Amino acid sequence: MRCRQAKKAVPLLAGGDLSPRKAQKILAHIEGCRACRLDLEGYRSALGRVKAAAREEGLRDWSDPEWKGLLARIITEKSAERSPAPRLRPRWAMASGLAAVVLLAVLTLVFRNSIFRPEGTAPAAGPEVVSVTMVSQETGLQVVWFLNKYFEWKGDNK
Amino acid sequence: MRMNETEKELVEMVLSGRSEAFEPLVTPYRQPLLAVAYRLTRDWEEAKEVAQEALLRAFKYLGRYDTSRSFRNWLFQIAANEARDRLRKRRREADAAVEAGRESIRNQGPESGRRAREFRSDIDNCLSVLSAREREVFVLRDLEDLNIKETAGILGISSVSVRVNLSSARRKVRDVILAKYPHLEEGR
Repeated sequence: MRCRQAKKAVPLLAGGDLSPRKAQKILAHIEGCRACRLDLEGYRSALGRVKAAAREEGLRDWSDPEWKGLLARIITEKSAERSPAPRLRPRWAMASGLAAVVLLAVLTLVFRNSIFRPEGTAPAAGPEVVSVTMVSQETGLQVVWFLNKYFEWKGDNK
Repeated sequence: MRMNETEKELVEMVLSGRSEAFEPLVTPYRQPLLAVAYRLTRDWEEAKEVAQEALLRAFKYLGRYDTSRSFRNWLFQIAANEARDRLRKRRREADAAVEAGRESIRNQGPESGRRAREFRSDIDNCLSVLSAREREVFVLRDLEDLNIKETAGILGISSVSVRVNLSSARRKVRDVILAKYPHLEEGR
């Protein structure tokens, strides 16, 4: 073995990261080579110094409330992901739905008094005029329609 | 280091919806995880954020965890990935700041830089000369005492790559230490 080959392997040898066979080969060379021996000692000393500094560094830990709080947060966040809040439908969809229901109710009232009344029978006692109010949820604008019992438009905002 | 039976049971409990089992699962790694995060970032606040993110992801993606592997190493792997992303971001920001304030740094002179280096610990001085990959390998193998195979598994690289990076990291570390303590060269 030559010094060039040994020097390549010395950093790994210093940390005990060579296979026993390869380590044996390098050590055999190092025994007879002062330069390589010093090289190995330099690596071992430097590594030892850094490892000792790392041990003395005084690593911190979480405080108990910090740790408990962290875990609680993690579990809560994940649970929230599992059961997402129900999605709200858009406002315009709700407004249109409401308007459709109101319109249907009005039309039912109107037609019950006109079309479905048998011929020659007296009109049932009921309101002569029906009003329909539509309110925009976004702008607050109100539109009022007045209709007679034959579903004829009589004007608005009166 | 493979997963033990208790950990396996705890993982299954968490996956079946018993979230409270997560605490006994991760509590043994509470301090080691923070220590790895600190050694990779060298900043306690950032280390806490990295460890928090690692725990959050571990909980979120526990279903993807392969129970034939070590749970500790899986946690460390998540933390190493998070730390790497943050360091990359920090370096980009630092580069931009240096670029912007090059003039003011030049005006401070070399004395202030020397003084700053003197106050840094040996570990800081050593780690600052390593590339991102060398630093990860050095921290896990030499400071955390994981073996080559575990280090490779955590970093998602081959054992050969670990050896190559470890060699060059140790060479750089030796140079820094010997420059500061020249008497060590003779093994004294």
